[in-house]
Amino acid sequence: MSRVVMNACMLSVLAVAGLAACGGDRGDATQLTTTDELAELSALPWDSVVTRARGTRVTWRMWRGDPAINAFIDGWVAEQLRERYEITLAAVEGQGAELVNQFVLEREAGRGRGTASLVWINGETFSQMRAESLLAGPWAGTLPNSRFVDSASPIIARDFEQDPAGFESPWGAVQFALIYDTVRTPEPPRTINELADWIRAHPGRFTHDQSFTGVTFLKLLMYARGGGVETFAGGFTEERYARGRSAVFGWLDSVRGNFWRGGETYPPDVAAMHRLFANAEIDFSMSNNQHDVLNKVRQGVLPPTARALLLRDGTIANAHYLGIPFNAPNAAGAMVVADFLLSPEAQLRKLDPDVWADGTVLDVSRLSAEWRGRFTALEQATVGIPGDSLRRYARPEVAPTYHERLQTDWRAWVRGEAR
Amino acid sequence: MQRAALALRPMLLALVVASPVLIGVLYAALASVGVAGAGASGHVALDRVVDVLSTRSTWRAIGWSLYVSASATLLATLVAAAVAMRFGTIRRTDRAARVLATFPLPVPHLVAAATALMLFAQSGLLARVLFAVGLIDVPADMPALVYDRAGVGLILALTWKEIPFLAVVAFAVRHSEHDALSEAARTLGAQPAQLRRLITWPLLWRGMAPAVIAVFAFALGSYETAVLLAPVDPAPLAVLTMERFADPSLARRGDAYVLALVGLALAAVAVAAHEWARARWSA
Amino acid sequence: MNSTRATHAARRGVWPTLALAALAVSSLLPLLVLLLQSVGVSWRWPLLLPEAYTTIAWRAIAGAALGAAALTSTLLALATAITSVLIALPVGRALATLRTPWRHVAAALVFLPVAAPPIALGAGLQVATLQLGLGGTFAAVWMAHCVPAIGYASLLFLGVFGARDAHDEEAARSLGASRAQVWRFVLLPTLRGPIGDALAICFLVSWAQVALTLVIGGGAVRALPIEVLALVRAGQDREAAVGALLLVVPAMLALSALRAGARRTTALPA
Repeated sequence: MSRVVMNACMLSVLAVAGLAACGGDRGDATQLTTTDELAELSALPWDSVVTRARGTRVTWRMWRGDPAINAFIDGWVAEQLRERYEITLAAVEGQGAELVNQFVLEREAGRGRGTASLVWINGETFSQMRAESLLAGPWAGTLPNSRFVDSASPIIARDFEQDPAGFESPWGAVQFALIYDTVRTPEPPRTINELADWIRAHPGRFTHDQSFTGVTFLKLLMYARGGGVETFAGGFTEERYARGRSAVFGWLDSVRGNFWRGGETYPPDVAAMHRLFANAEIDFSMSNNQHDVLNKVRQGVLPPTARALLLRDGTIANAHYLGIPFNAPNAAGAMVVADFLLSPEAQLRKLDPDVWADGTVLDVSRLSAEWRGRFTALEQATVGIPGDSLRRYARPEVAPTYHERLQTDWRAWVRGEAR
Repeated sequence: MQRAALALRPMLLALVVASPVLIGVLYAALASVGVAGAGASGHVALDRVVDVLSTRSTWRAIGWSLYVSASATLLATLVAAAVAMRFGTIRRTDRAARVLATFPLPVPHLVAAATALMLFAQSGLLARVLFAVGLIDVPADMPALVYDRAGVGLILALTWKEIPFLAVVAFAVRHSEHDALSEAARTLGAQPAQLRRLITWPLLWRGMAPAVIAVFAFALGSYETAVLLAPVDPAPLAVLTMERFADPSLARRGDAYVLALVGLALAAVAVAAHEWARARWSA
Repeated sequence: MNSTRATHAARRGVWPTLALAALAVSSLLPLLVLLLQSVGVSWRWPLLLPEAYTTIAWRAIAGAALGAAALTSTLLALATAITSVLIALPVGRALATLRTPWRHVAAALVFLPVAAPPIALGAGLQVATLQLGLGGTFAAVWMAHCVPAIGYASLLFLGVFGARDAHDEEAARSLGASRAQVWRFVLLPTLRGPIGDALAICFLVSWAQVALTLVIGGGAVRALPIEVLALVRAGQDREAAVGALLLVVPAMLALSALRAGARRTTALPA
């Protein structure tokens, strides 16, 4: 018996080793690719796409870091999809860099179809997945609900200045905001300059995190101190970036000593920053979603007196999208899910601060009077920053390379390395 | 000839058990030179390896990670050994001590780190106790024990996490100790202190050594603890590796494999040193 | 003279008690903190105890991801423990037949999967599981967890077989026992203790595993530590504390039961 076990184990592990060593095989060439399938589906009437999607399973890789979002997806969205299309939705973890790495490995392993049919992406992840040919398409323009999308908005029609070109479908829009406590800081600073004065007057009470949100704050500094978003619009160039970089790090150098912990260390992520804020170690937190504070107060993560704050220099707004990977096993199902998420019903529900407070990507004026009324009513009922202020201070994203370079240079700066 | 043939099958088995690591080394090596992985150029180039190994933060990461894991391993080993020596009898208090010492064994690193954050943050429970007795007024008065450059919180969390495992091993070693040896030494007139120094401690240390090495390697490679408790500078090796895996620039992701190989090399050195020491002992 | 001795005795009496108290605080306080966190409302600076209490996070377990994750983790850890011990037993026994230089080389090889950083190990395993078409499946994660677990258990059995003498086996064989009979009637009965230890260690290796599950599971295999990590990162401290207690308490109980059942023997090669 021992020999059988031994041989079996040896064989199996050696087989794995052998397979791994030969690698590089690009899969079964005779199989229809996801892109071919999407082309075929796009030529069909929508009803046929729905018919093909009926009764299937859609695995969606997404950011799973917020229980409110998870509850919305696993609860209402999954139920609706089951009732309307008999689609089983499986939302699993996976975002950003991790997604790109995973799909590169899947391509290297070359096993035909992959596991996920839908991914939640934007900005640099979209740029990288496009650069590595990890997205199938185009398909987004064929969704029936895409006719309601606010295609005139620069924030939705361009993803970090990139043309989605039908390879991703928008489904939400957010805007960066600082978070402060109305009791602790009744007169908060309203501009970057006022913020610098405030930081100097209150040593150790301000910081930003090391993740995406922190880098968005740096980019906001770059716009405000480097000549406005116009200076950086129209693609990445080294000269513009050099200017932006000195503006950002000049500002940081001038206040770093007055940061939390003297600017020696920074909270690893937004959750850690929220924790510091809630425990009065610092007086500001931040979020990429202007309404996140409502959500977090309701969950008890932040104190009830926490509010969002827009800096008048402008804050960054961006949209997030859905993509279909190059090896998606269920292209039709993915399209139906993406279309459902663009429906006025799903968009309205997602906008509700009691659900998620994620901005809509629809142009409300294109909707029927009934839906228009509901969207207006919800916006009016939402406490927090009014919609016209949001729009006035919203600034679009610029090319993703700016984000990449700021992140890299910030790490070098904080670790005292040449950059 | 005969002996070589006898050794062949077990050696093959050992190779099979190690093969996933060897495959990992192979893939990481390919990715390090730009032949595999995200952002791979497809042709062999050593610039990535040179680049990573000539960066200051890489060496600081290696040094700091070695310092943190060595400190935690040393502390945990001392505590576990002391507990095993002190509470080795069948008395009831000793049994209670053994149960207490080994109780947190199944606590994952992740939970240890999250709890350390709750206890040791500048606004954590320890700080609140100091506030309650009037020793500090605001969180900033509390010495920084998490995200700190000295790594105090991280070392404490790792130490606390590893004590139970090392204590289990230490108790087992004490339990299986050759009573005959101590008995012989005693009849030859050895004092209790001599007995401890010449017999009990060396035996305990030899018995614990593999577990100590494993704990050291574990602490060195542990990501969850480090990411929750370590400062941004110096960044621990595991955090730096993950940071590169997720680097916003695709071209820099291959750096992660170079760093992963560095981590593997450190682990391999620890293992080799341990086997070398054991070979010397048994000789 | 007498008083000095009394002080000595008192000191001997005080130190173990103090040490025992320190052990108790160190082992139990973190659990108590987690318990409070799991039911606490608005437990912020400078409150020593939560402002109010709620059982909402505990009541949510049944319907939430944590319950399913606990089940996944249990199955994963049981499967890993059983498979790893089955494979490691013959491996450890074979390695114990090696003589000195080879035995050390072999031990070092087996030690590698134990000592290798999971991040480094994960990269190689990910390529391998994707090649097998198992990417993001329970089976792939199970295989991955077995890698360090087999390493641990093989080392343990190497120590056990290395320390025992083979006379019983030889005697049984010379009396005509088959290979299976030797295992069943000679080896297994005396190995009950080490097998219990190995099962426990392998179970825990899988139970607490984060990095390998994340990399190999590709987000699709939601084991309990993954859920807890996600909750910690999302700042959901109350739910994270519930998850942490789910991770810790059943494992402690299972381990105590297992250890009470198995006769204590050497846990690792001496």
